[in-house]
Amino acid sequence: MSGATMTQPILELRGLKVSIAEKPDIHIVKGIDLTIRPGEIHALMGPNGSGKSTLASTIAGSPTYVVDEGQIIYQGADITAMSADERARKGVFLSFQYPTPIPGVTMVNLMRESLKARRGAEVPAREFLAELRATLSKLKMSEDMARRYVNDGFSGGEKKRAEILQMGLLKPDLAILDETDSGLDVDALRTVSEGVNALRRPDMGILIITHYERILNYIEPDFVHILFEGRIVKSGGFDLAKRIEHEGYDPILKELGITSTKVAEGAAR
Amino acid sequence: MATSTATYSETAAREAARGRGEPAWLVEARAEAARAFTATSMPSPALRPWKYTDVSALDIEAFAPDAAFAPRVTGVAPAGGFAGSLAAALASHGEVVREHLGSVVPGTEGKFTAANAAQWREGVLVHAPRGQAFAAPVTVAVEGHEGAIFPRILIVAEPASEVSIILRTSSAAAPLLAAGVIEVVAQADSRVRLLIDTRWGAVTQEFTTLRARIGRGADVQVGSIVLGGHIVKQTVEALMEGEGSTSTIRGVAVGDTEQHFDFVTLQELIGKKSSSEVEIKTALAGASRSVYYGVTRVEPTAIGASANQENRNLLLSPRAKADADPVLEILTNEVIRCGHGATVGPVDQDALFYLQSRGLDMRQSLVLLVTGFFQSVISGLDAPGLVEELESALREKLATAELE
Repeated sequence: MSGATMTQPILELRGLKVSIAEKPDIHIVKGIDLTIRPGEIHALMGPNGSGKSTLASTIAGSPTYVVDEGQIIYQGADITAMSADERARKGVFLSFQYPTPIPGVTMVNLMRESLKARRGAEVPAREFLAELRATLSKLKMSEDMARRYVNDGFSGGEKKRAEILQMGLLKPDLAILDETDSGLDVDALRTVSEGVNALRRPDMGILIITHYERILNYIEPDFVHILFEGRIVKSGGFDLAKRIEHEGYDPILKELGITSTKVAEGAAR
Repeated sequence: MATSTATYSETAAREAARGRGEPAWLVEARAEAARAFTATSMPSPALRPWKYTDVSALDIEAFAPDAAFAPRVTGVAPAGGFAGSLAAALASHGEVVREHLGSVVPGTEGKFTAANAAQWREGVLVHAPRGQAFAAPVTVAVEGHEGAIFPRILIVAEPASEVSIILRTSSAAAPLLAAGVIEVVAQADSRVRLLIDTRWGAVTQEFTTLRARIGRGADVQVGSIVLGGHIVKQTVEALMEGEGSTSTIRGVAVGDTEQHFDFVTLQELIGKKSSSEVEIKTALAGASRSVYYGVTRVEPTAIGASANQENRNLLLSPRAKADADPVLEILTNEVIRCGHGATVGPVDQDALFYLQSRGLDMRQSLVLLVTGFFQSVISGLDAPGLVEELESALREKLATAELE
């Protein structure tokens, strides 16, 4: 491999602007540039409604959102117009904030189908089971979960663990963890975080989306970005997350001279 | 046309029955049914069970009965029992046939059932004698070609007996009318399982009435999987007469193109502590349509009864349609539980995106969602090998279904 290939970013967002497909007037992401290189963990933080989950879903290819401007470059290729399933087969993985229950479909069934799709080839039952067991044991999870229906009747913690289990099996090159820490108690948070750390590879990129810095105490990010009203207003290192932990978002926003446009618009009326 | 009209007349029915050497009582029953057929008009859409399946323009007499039609029965009956053609049973099990044929679905009841009673050929009798169990399921293959066929199946389960039947229907590409009648007599403490695998050709129209009379402590389970046919109307009725009798009706259907499915169920709870479940699910692609009308009637005598009926329809294409109408008629205050539910809706977009985000394309995702949706019904079908075969047939159909 040439040096250029080695340093090719996993993900590049170039001037990305996103709105809701059914409400094209509502612009949520208003111009984002972001580069994630192999081995890097980026944390995207911000208050509620700043556009974090929209960005996560858009990178994964959700049809709920449309890209108005800009590009999503993944491993050097423009995937802006690519379907969600094609992105997934190429190694993009989204751990959902609210994983959807799918009654009647077992985790095993889904995982086998998705592994088959990711590899583009049949996965013999024996091989699949061996990999599933290896992943379960790496994540310290029991086989019971694999036999249940997808996210059906799962507790908050189980849902997030099931997402990480799938991530472990699919071995993505880009993992987007959308509010993976929400709804978890301290023990569950530790289990899930340890799982992510165990699955981390030097050639993959991770984007952690979170409201609180909690999870970052377990999965230490290389870069922290603050998203506010659809724009990255500040980037820094782990210390930025620590500062948010102690001060919240307001002092940082004030320091940057940012006032909410929503508030401003409201005041103008 | 003139020939077939004559075929449906009383005289013709009587002569044909005599020609087949049928006993006098049956010849008379045929004649009576033929009279009822002539005297009865086609059901009007004004009648609730026919609201969405308008047959007023359908001319049964334009379909010449297929004289060569004969269902194929495979199965070994325990000692004293029977699994074979009704015609053959007239000789060996004449008393059983005479006692029960037409006792559950009278030949004078309606247009289609009268046509069946007058015109059925060969027929099928499955008879489980007292205390005996069939070692393996009996299979009945109904294969239609052209014209009209009148499948007639009589299932008699004597006290404490057990029998399982798999009915498979198929037909060629030529226009076919299939007017079936299935009678089930489930006597005390018997167990009857009937699984119907409907895979008619694209221009077949089916109108079948299945009715089970269920005695004390007896259990009847009917499963229906509908994949084929143009118009498929199946009326399934469970009369729970005995104390502690139970029934289950499960159905799944996958519609595509212009397919029209019409399910009518009746759960009539008469005996004390009787209980009944209905669960019918459809997935509809293309411009297909499903209609469901289900009545749960709890009679004043059915103290401590419980019943539930559910109809769920998944629309896979914007042109597909479903109507669901569950009705409860509760005539006693002392029911344990009586519920019903009906839904019609498109595929859950969040679930679809979730599966796509795991690398499954649109169609693979839909196949998984639909098989998951059917799981609650299919898992109850109690026919291990067959279930896998059905699931693969179902996947095959979904693989090419019209989603737009």
